[in-house]
Amino acid sequence: MAGYKPVAIQTYPILGEKITQDTLYWNNYKTPVQIKEFGAVSKVDFSPQPPYNYAVTASSRIHIYGRYSQEPIKTFSRFKYTAYCATFRQDGRLLVAGSEDGGVQLFDISGRAPLRQFEGHTKAVHTVDFTADKYHVVSGADDYTVKLWDIPNSKEILTFKEHSDYVRCGCASKLNPDLFITGSYDHTVKMFDARTNTSVLSVEHGQPVESVLLFPSGGLLVSAGGRYVKVWDMLKGGQLLVSLKNHHKTVTCLCLSSSGQRLLSGSLDRKVKVYSTTSYKVVHSFDYAASILSLALAHEDETIVVGMTNGILSVKHRKSEAKKESIPRRRRPAYRTFIKGKNYMKQRDDILINRPAKKHLELYDRDLKHFRISKALDRVLDPTCTIKTPEITVSIIKELNRRGVLANALAGRDEKEISHVLNFLIRHLSQPRFAPVLINAAEIIIDIYLPVIGQSPVVDKKFLLLQGLVEKEIDYQRELLETLGMMDMLFATMRRKEGTSVLEHTSDGFPENKKIES
Amino acid sequence: MAAGGGGSGDPLAPAGVPCAFSPHSQAYFALASTDGHLRVWETANNRLHQEYVPSAHLSGTCTCLAWAPARLQAKESPQRKKRKSEAVGTSNQTDLLALGTAVGSILLYSTVKGELHSKLVSGGHDNRVNCIQWHQDSGCLYSCSDDKHIVEWNVQACKVKCKWKGDNSSVSSLCISPDGKMLLSAGRTIKLWVLETKEVYRHFTGHATPVSSLMFTTIRPPNESQPFDGITGLYFLSGAVHDRLLNVWQVRSENKEKSAVMSFTVTDEPVYIDLTLSENKEEPVKLAVVCRDGQVHLFEHILNGYCKKPLTSNCTIQIATPGKGKKSTPKPIPILAAGFCSDKMSLLLVYGSWFQPTIERVALNSREPHMCLVRDISNCWAPKVETAITKVRTPVMNSEAKVLVPGIPGHHAAIKPAPPQTEQVESKRKSGGNEVSIEERLGAMDIDARKKGKDDLQTNSFPVLLTQGLESNDFEMLNKVLQTRNVNLIKKTVLRMPLHTVIPLLQELTKRLQGHPNSAVLMVQWLKCVLTVHASYLSTLPDLVPQLGTLYQLMESRVKTFQKLSHLHGKLILLITQVTASEKTKGATSPGQKAKLVYEEESSEEESDDEIADKDSEDNWDEDEEESESEKDEDIDEEEDEDAEGKDEENGEDRDIASEKELNGDSDLDPENESEEE
Repeated sequence: MAGYKPVAIQTYPILGEKITQDTLYWNNYKTPVQIKEFGAVSKVDFSPQPPYNYAVTASSRIHIYGRYSQEPIKTFSRFKYTAYCATFRQDGRLLVAGSEDGGVQLFDISGRAPLRQFEGHTKAVHTVDFTADKYHVVSGADDYTVKLWDIPNSKEILTFKEHSDYVRCGCASKLNPDLFITGSYDHTVKMFDARTNTSVLSVEHGQPVESVLLFPSGGLLVSAGGRYVKVWDMLKGGQLLVSLKNHHKTVTCLCLSSSGQRLLSGSLDRKVKVYSTTSYKVVHSFDYAASILSLALAHEDETIVVGMTNGILSVKHRKSEAKKESIPRRRRPAYRTFIKGKNYMKQRDDILINRPAKKHLELYDRDLKHFRISKALDRVLDPTCTIKTPEITVSIIKELNRRGVLANALAGRDEKEISHVLNFLIRHLSQPRFAPVLINAAEIIIDIYLPVIGQSPVVDKKFLLLQGLVEKEIDYQRELLETLGMMDMLFATMRRKEGTSVLEHTSDGFPENKKIES
Repeated sequence: MAAGGGGSGDPLAPAGVPCAFSPHSQAYFALASTDGHLRVWETANNRLHQEYVPSAHLSGTCTCLAWAPARLQAKESPQRKKRKSEAVGTSNQTDLLALGTAVGSILLYSTVKGELHSKLVSGGHDNRVNCIQWHQDSGCLYSCSDDKHIVEWNVQACKVKCKWKGDNSSVSSLCISPDGKMLLSAGRTIKLWVLETKEVYRHFTGHATPVSSLMFTTIRPPNESQPFDGITGLYFLSGAVHDRLLNVWQVRSENKEKSAVMSFTVTDEPVYIDLTLSENKEEPVKLAVVCRDGQVHLFEHILNGYCKKPLTSNCTIQIATPGKGKKSTPKPIPILAAGFCSDKMSLLLVYGSWFQPTIERVALNSREPHMCLVRDISNCWAPKVETAITKVRTPVMNSEAKVLVPGIPGHHAAIKPAPPQTEQVESKRKSGGNEVSIEERLGAMDIDARKKGKDDLQTNSFPVLLTQGLESNDFEMLNKVLQTRNVNLIKKTVLRMPLHTVIPLLQELTKRLQGHPNSAVLMVQWLKCVLTVHASYLSTLPDLVPQLGTLYQLMESRVKTFQKLSHLHGKLILLITQVTASEKTKGATSPGQKAKLVYEEESSEEESDDEIADKDSEDNWDEDEEESESEKDEDIDEEEDEDAEGKDEENGEDRDIASEKELNGDSDLDPENESEEE
């Protein structure tokens, strides 16, 4: 005995952006907290040690914020001129910053006055960093020089004068205390070794370099400048691995996610792009209100901090996961209940008769099974269904049409019910995937309700709307037809060209043959 | 007064170059151009009097200049405020011109001898000299510089008399009080120094940017009864960089108020100020301010204390080239300096390029709020140096020689030595005739530009926006571009967009074509444009079919329903027209239509018809009940005629009842029917 076959619901590909693991991950942040700074935020740096405070450099001040505080927990304001590039040491206890007047100052996190002042640069120092051994500081300045300083006796150890333009970015290797790289406006990124007094590697970025970044392993180098982000293989002697051009304005800052699997770049075009470091494709993108100058990610990507040119610091915290767990789960029957009697082993003379498994049927299927067609249609025309899963509604209409009972199902409706149907039609008639079914339904409705048309102004209005929509769709399709004609022409020229080329080939071939013959 | 000499390379660019009229009846006009030359012009006949090139004219260009106070006859009336003094200058100071340079040295040039008189270097400034002022009595020279110091020089000995720190930042301007006892200096703040002790007497603050010009305006005692102590009631003017206000400050010994008492509004940063002094209380101070944009503003005001609102100018003077023919638009000519003549009723205007300025005397007409002088300066461009002038130190040039001057980028065809046509220039002067004012011309120009420019502007930015949007996949940016309805704009954008964006655009369009017809129609416009404009490019693509395959399929699948849809549309149209028709008829009275039935079939089956009529017209019956039977007849008659007339006409139709009854044979039956029903 054939059972009832449930209506096959046609599935359609979901339009729009694909939801990937990355979008879920990067969307899982709360609404940003905005903090107004005194000037353009040129640098944000997270302390590598808990409680993961972060230092924000803006104008002539350095603010240190705690994880959830919106007020700075500490301020270093003893700068006469603009401060740059406040960076934490690996142990999170010292902070170094450059200044517009060419000074480099070293602060204790708990103190107020600078511990050390390194004087030697003649122009603004835009980049400073601690080397891996924690006892040296590297600085790069607008006087084209890169200097290495000793912290204990605050002396200058080395000066590199290899750049021919402003040195605006740099970073020290996390593994080797003698290696560090700097990027300059002379379009080059150079790697220096404190043991050799000279640069050991130089790569040509092609644009003024705004930011550089070394992968934790030290093998890959990322440089940003102009609209490009470039990844270089240091182990192969500076071979260009990837060149990314996804921003339409200068890229100003780079950052790695805590796992090292994602690379983030911020740009003056007000976007932060997230790249996968395996495929180097953009996997996500954030929008901000103003041009981005600095960007930092907290430990475990808990917080994204972005500093902008208008002096606004945007802080996004990750949504806490705890809430989802708190929903109590309904107690279900134990597993035993379901397998009761299933494990009975058949004896020799027993005949096992399986009870037909009860099929779960949707409500509309049940209605259809019992030939309550009108009710089934009502059920799928319910707003919850039409909005969330219009394809079910359309499938049911299609099924009813197949059975030849659509007219019956649609007939005998009052003003409110018919306006529901018409609403659905108006909403979905223009969608190509639903159009064939719905056009048919619309025609049937018109046929049924023609005699009583004009009695209800509400329904009349709906019909007017429907008519407007259909008219637009027809106009649109007419345009499309014209366009199709154009494309046909284009394709035709393609084919003809292929054809002609073949002809030419053959005609070329003939003389050769003749020659051979002769 | 020789305000900040940030002259630009373009000789016609409106910018302040250091220049000054000679104190002695303004016979000469000295101008230090950005190419390092000092030129002295005769104001009377607009001739080059002298030209001097300092030895270091390229490294240390002249930043400011000042004429030494003139040797005055005992009874001669004062020409210029700061030269005004009773004292007679020492003889060797006459016609001395002090030049401050960008490297900190000060040169003294003698116009009589036509050569360098002396050089003030030792112990002086080590940075750019910003302002020089001569002391009118003692023959001292005061200078200030970017090195924050003010230096007092003994000119005879060429030595520094005194040097002191004037400000925390660079000192940009100086001015000596009319009685010679006080000195004003200005950097960020304005300071009033007592010259004898070099102590600060008063501070004035209020300018946000460095002060570029300073000038004392009055020597008149505040009231006649009080003896003038040289300080009280003194007013001075100050203008600052990027500031469009000229502030007036009052020095009061008793009052500690530090803000400006009033201000004059001008259109740009003031670069040259000249004024006449009022001798008595009733005479207003006349002020001529040359702005960086090349306009002159004239003010007349009686200084009497505080005024809250900024004052606007009484008269504005502009100079423009004549627009030759219809095509060439008039260009403004910058005014470099303006000085009041001794009669206070006319103004000496210096305009044109610093390379070849034209000096002209203009009578002031206080009634006209706006004066625009039309001048042709194109033939004044050639440097005409006459050999008759004896004191010219530079090599003599003949009129055919082409002169190349450093710092002039577009030094081309404009230099065409032609006989100067001063008469013609003079005749071009606006005398109220049928000349169009510059304002009207500019207005007309503006409108034209806007009409033409609008599309250009948008199409210039649209391709850029589109490429940027496609490259960074910015949804909002693409929306901004793609949702335009202007077909022209679409065409232009597609024309101008770079080729490599064609395929990405097509892919983006593919995505957007699937939407609601409302928005998708716009995308089709774009698609069509791309296909038509870039057809040849597309046809050369080897992988065109795979590239556009999805798009083609998508469109094809959508178009499949076209037939059915048209069918449906036909039905709908019919339906809608019916509905609208029924709505129209609803407006007319309904009982008639139904009553029509009564007529047609009454003769045979009276009873049944009556019933139908009854049913149909029941609603309206109630209204009609009060009305007379005769009116009923008439209603029915009317409807028979298929008139859609309202009831308001009923009263007028009473007269016709009889005639209608006669016409309609059946009418006599009707009243009977109705009477039965009632």
